[in-house]
Amino acid sequence: MERNYSTIEGTSRGYKVLVALLGVMVGVFIVSFLVAYLKGQQVWGVSNIIPWGQLITFYIFFIGLSAGAIIISSLSYVFKKEIYEPIGRMAVFMGILLMVGAMTFVMVDLGRPEKAWRLFMYFYLNNMTSLFAINSIFYTGYITLMLIYLWLIFEGRKRLAAIVGTVDVLWAIAVHMGTGAIFGLIGNREIFFSPIKPFEFLTAALTSGTSLIILISVVTFKLTRRVIQDELIFSLGRLLTSIILILLVMVFFDKLTHLYFPNREAAVYLLTGDYWWIFWIFQIGMGIVFPLIFLIHPRTKKTLKGVVCAAASVVIGVFGERAALVIPGTANPQPFFPGQIEGPWGEPGIFPITPWETLLSLSIVAFVGLLFVLGLRYLEILPARTGESIPAGTAPTA
Amino acid sequence: MAKWGMVIDLDKCVGCQACVVSCKEENNVPHGSPEEQRSRREIYWHKMIAVTKGKYPHVRTEIIPMPCMQCEHPPCVTVCPAKATFQRDDGIVVQYYRRCIGCKYCMVACPYGARSFNYKAQETKPYHHQDEPPDRESWAPWPFPARTQGVVEKCTFCFHRIDQGLKEGKKIGTEVVPACVEACPSHARVFGDLDDPQSPVAQLLASRASFRLREELATKPKVIYLSR
Amino acid sequence: MGAKRDMDDHLSGADEKGGRCSRLSRRKFLKLTAMAGLTAGTVGIHRQSHSVPSPQPVNASTTKGRWISTSCLNCPARCGINVKVAGGNALQIKGNRSSLVSEGQICPRGHIGLQVLYDPERILYPLKRSQSKKGRGVDPLWKPVSWDQAIEEIVGKLRTLRDGFGPHHLLLMSGLNSRSNEDLLSRFAEAFGTPNLVWGDDLDREAEKTGNWMADGHFDACAYDLDQTNYLLSFGANLLESTPPVARWLRKWGRLRREKPTRTKVVDVQPRYSLTASKSDEWIPIQPGTDAALAMAIAHVIIREDLFDHRFITEWTMDFDEYRQIALQHYAPEAVSKITGIPAETIHRIAGEFARTRPALAIPGKGAIAWPGGSYTGYAIHCLNALVGSIDVPGGILYQESPGYRTFPNGVRDEIARKGLEQPSLDLHGTEGFPAARVVTNQIPRSLLEGKPYPIEMAIGFNSNFNMTAPGTGQWEEALKKIRFYVHVAPFISEMAEYADLVLPSTTFLEEWGYDHSPPGSGFAEARIKQPVVKPIGDSKSIGDILFHLAERFPGAAAKTFKDMGGSAEGFVRFRTSSLLPWEEFLKKGVYQGPAYQYRKYPRIFHTPSKKFEFVSGNLRALQTKKGRSAKEGIASSPHYSELKWLGEEGQYPLILFPYQPLLTFGNGSQNYPWAQEIFLPMQGVGWVSPAEINSETARGLNLRDRDEVWIESPFGKIRTYVKFSEGVHPGIVCLPCGQGHTSYGKWQKGIGCNPNEVIGVDFDVLSGQSAFFNTRVKIYKA
Repeated sequence: MERNYSTIEGTSRGYKVLVALLGVMVGVFIVSFLVAYLKGQQVWGVSNIIPWGQLITFYIFFIGLSAGAIIISSLSYVFKKEIYEPIGRMAVFMGILLMVGAMTFVMVDLGRPEKAWRLFMYFYLNNMTSLFAINSIFYTGYITLMLIYLWLIFEGRKRLAAIVGTVDVLWAIAVHMGTGAIFGLIGNREIFFSPIKPFEFLTAALTSGTSLIILISVVTFKLTRRVIQDELIFSLGRLLTSIILILLVMVFFDKLTHLYFPNREAAVYLLTGDYWWIFWIFQIGMGIVFPLIFLIHPRTKKTLKGVVCAAASVVIGVFGERAALVIPGTANPQPFFPGQIEGPWGEPGIFPITPWETLLSLSIVAFVGLLFVLGLRYLEILPARTGESIPAGTAPTA
Repeated sequence: MAKWGMVIDLDKCVGCQACVVSCKEENNVPHGSPEEQRSRREIYWHKMIAVTKGKYPHVRTEIIPMPCMQCEHPPCVTVCPAKATFQRDDGIVVQYYRRCIGCKYCMVACPYGARSFNYKAQETKPYHHQDEPPDRESWAPWPFPARTQGVVEKCTFCFHRIDQGLKEGKKIGTEVVPACVEACPSHARVFGDLDDPQSPVAQLLASRASFRLREELATKPKVIYLSR
Repeated sequence: MGAKRDMDDHLSGADEKGGRCSRLSRRKFLKLTAMAGLTAGTVGIHRQSHSVPSPQPVNASTTKGRWISTSCLNCPARCGINVKVAGGNALQIKGNRSSLVSEGQICPRGHIGLQVLYDPERILYPLKRSQSKKGRGVDPLWKPVSWDQAIEEIVGKLRTLRDGFGPHHLLLMSGLNSRSNEDLLSRFAEAFGTPNLVWGDDLDREAEKTGNWMADGHFDACAYDLDQTNYLLSFGANLLESTPPVARWLRKWGRLRREKPTRTKVVDVQPRYSLTASKSDEWIPIQPGTDAALAMAIAHVIIREDLFDHRFITEWTMDFDEYRQIALQHYAPEAVSKITGIPAETIHRIAGEFARTRPALAIPGKGAIAWPGGSYTGYAIHCLNALVGSIDVPGGILYQESPGYRTFPNGVRDEIARKGLEQPSLDLHGTEGFPAARVVTNQIPRSLLEGKPYPIEMAIGFNSNFNMTAPGTGQWEEALKKIRFYVHVAPFISEMAEYADLVLPSTTFLEEWGYDHSPPGSGFAEARIKQPVVKPIGDSKSIGDILFHLAERFPGAAAKTFKDMGGSAEGFVRFRTSSLLPWEEFLKKGVYQGPAYQYRKYPRIFHTPSKKFEFVSGNLRALQTKKGRSAKEGIASSPHYSELKWLGEEGQYPLILFPYQPLLTFGNGSQNYPWAQEIFLPMQGVGWVSPAEINSETARGLNLRDRDEVWIESPFGKIRTYVKFSEGVHPGIVCLPCGQGHTSYGKWQKGIGCNPNEVIGVDFDVLSGQSAFFNTRVKIYKA
């Protein structure tokens, strides 16, 4: 079906306030980044025991969220399910921005961000046994592919878009599994080390990405006074249910394997140690159990509110899943020598939530949000409102 | 090519920590502070751990000095994206600060906690090595000083001593050794070529039972301990 | 870098047109983006170099400099060191290979000498107090003055003292100083005319020295021929952390364990599982203060089973029968087992091993002798060495030889000095209170407070910090307030300096001239040089030069004495060592080795009435007779164990306080060295703290949890710290490390940890004047 897309007017007060607020947050981003860059990373909660903190957690979280783009876009352009077309462009656009956000997170986390170009410029000349280096190739290709994809969609070249979209889907699998492999291949960290990690990451990416699409679609369409088909959301909800179930199976087997020796101590620490609540309340509770209840229970599964609640819960829960990997994974004291090591070396690490790091993380989220909101204003991403006039001088979409 | 390794005799080790201090002295490693120790940001190229087991009065504490293990299969080298840490032909895993982007992947991957992130520029310069002329020429155009904020650092087996010693034709292992080996008062540490059957390290390893830390991870550390 | 920025700009709408992006510019921006990325990538690839660099970082070894021989002074061992200096800065410290006492090795404190030298909080010029009130935490409001002013004031006051009250009203206190400075101080005291010169070294070993003196007439600690010893039985000593000279123990440990055909067995008897205990073959926890009983029980077993060295006992000892009676009658292992808490079979076994594994050494440590009655404990332990024939033999006890420094010219005393030196000394040594003592440092506060035998008008402290290092901090602080004019000479403002009226900045050991030798020791004599490796920092002057300067200002006796001794600190060192070796050689090598040690010098080695090793002390008896008491009355003359007397009721104060000294405690009165502080307690893997170690069962009985903040309270005060559960602590004690709890200065030490001396009561081993450190009882409760 031919569809018209338009920008949002961006004249309402609400929009202007939103842009202003987000703009302020971008200022906060610059300030907090400079503080950390000039003073040193000790203003964050990271330490030699837990070297990766909020920023890396957000980085892998955002990579995961961008998977939503691929689902929707492949569903609408590759598999030609027309019901998803209204949100097709938005999904791909979100995907790009979320990847940009992820890259921002990881580059800001570096000790020497000004050398970050090394990761992206040298490509295969970097150390190809390092998942960071491999991923930098994947991410660059992914963003490029998505840009080309979006451009093709704007141009209306549906057939080419479908081909690029297919490549993009396959590439996305590599991206998400690669991100999982960053952790899964590290042998000395028992909580990380698992061949399921890439698959777990992919699945969690799909759940969180889909959920974010649901959330953003509903909210954006509502705020811009567009109509969204309930069936679109419900069908995404059904898709979400199946993916969550797959994720549940994966998490279960991953943790079960770890509860056997030689990884048992670390697994027990994850499940019952200082950070048990990240795993049980966030990863399992909000990421799997509550959404499943909302999505399966007959009373809620047919309501828009129910599905949206489930989606919100999944987004938060998957953030918890990332945190449950990064923080307890490195906090668990390494057993250099059998027995209880005296002093700090034998104790689990502590990760304090520090103001500068939190501000930095939230401000980067706001930065991505700002890009999204401005994109809606200046690019034709959302479907035109029914009854909306098309601006003169615009060629009809092909 | 030599394969440099270190043997630490835990029976002779007296737990004095001269190795820890002399490494800091030799390599201009910053000292920590109470807050840094509490928040685990102290930089140790060489640390010492104590492991206690038993109940009164049958108690036993092992004291284990831990430099960088200089593994033969170093996980840190595998994961460094920028090739900032790499293994030389003689087996020493070195750190090239100029390339390091501070991603801390190597810190996550190191099974021995040998790596420290340099969180801030060294604070109290008057304590040592002030006015020491930096060898800026060897750092090529980018003017990084020897100790820079935002990169990861670790024990280097004092390769600067070894390289200079080889240049001067000295015998490594007897005339030239890393700072920790030189400083050990009880002579518990021996350094040398693991591949040379005549070297003291090889002879020591042939004469007594030895073990490495976390052998199950198959990193094949080149710091080998002789048990008590 | 370029790719991302372009993308951001365009997406936020900031393109050339400045307005909304039209479809055309969308295409444009995507194209530009792609091109930018591609270009950057290509450029990047071309810039890539393919060679693997070999970086040469800045390191102490690769910097060109020269090595200067000198010696350390961070603890009483005074090991020989070589210091690398480049561009006027000291960069690195190593052991001096020419020193044989420790075979050229040093402990970690030697390396930390760099931080002592470059302590940013050193005093750089003389300071005068402007706040008249003195007390802890009261800011003296220091005002800088010039050296001339300071010296004028001191000389003026000294003169007034001499001409008025009398020179004996001057108290001189010496903490940790080089031997050359100690010698100069003695000469100064003598020339000035005051008998009141107290040392800090002696808080640790007086009872050990007296115990030895009672047996063989040597008022000194024993030296040990460690290279060939096969059995070490240590009583209350922490050989690898605090038994001087530590560096020698560290090196010889390696030799004893793995560098000789038979591996030396080490048995460590003390209430706390120290670092040494963890490295020893056996740790035997003992009820604190009962080491004498254990030593006598071991003697009992050796005698009963006829394992002693008959030849030595018959030929070179006196009164063995009396000793044998005492041991056999009163010290059966079964009875002693109840006193010490050690099973009788263990006592039997250890005694058998000790006697059969020759040469064997029994070593008294501070934990055994720093008690009331500690002299007899030292005596009992020394007798064990005699029993197994370990006196003056290879692998046994040696008698430390002194370097043959050139003798002083005869001291010139004027009338005033003579009169002053005849006065009784403030520390009451040699009096009824402390009959065999040579110095009783911890009596000084009481004498000062009581004003007996006479009040003190002026005091000068050289690197002393007794209110920090001696038991009874409170008493010292009160006493220091009573000194009318106190001059403190040190590189930093220590806790004692806070009570000074005038502070003179002296140099650290790396900036001064001197000669030094270790405490016993190696047996053979070894002297080491001290020479400045850098110019004195700020306006500091060495103690030697200060003393020469002061002496010059007293024309007559004092000035003459000092002039004949070289005229300056450097001259003095040169003068005194001129009998040892050529000056140039001493400067270069840094070390003088005495002649090889001669063993078995029995005919002339015992300075006792019988000229033999005495199991009943003739020296002590002679001393008593001199004081007008017969041998039958008065105090005992042979080794024995006496019932302990505690400070604090057992009911109210259930635990015994056991302070210990970790290796990284500095002897100079400061701990402001981050390299030491961050690794302070290796057994606990932690620094910057001073936890109270308690047996886990005892702690649970007191309803304490690990890491709880607690008060430790004795009848004399209370301090606050946190609790650490330990399996290596005797159930009846609580252990605290010394060296923390500073209050005066220092970013890296002030307010860190607690000082056990604040709660330890003042008590003595009467015979020797040794301060008792371990008989204070405390209670612990949650803070």
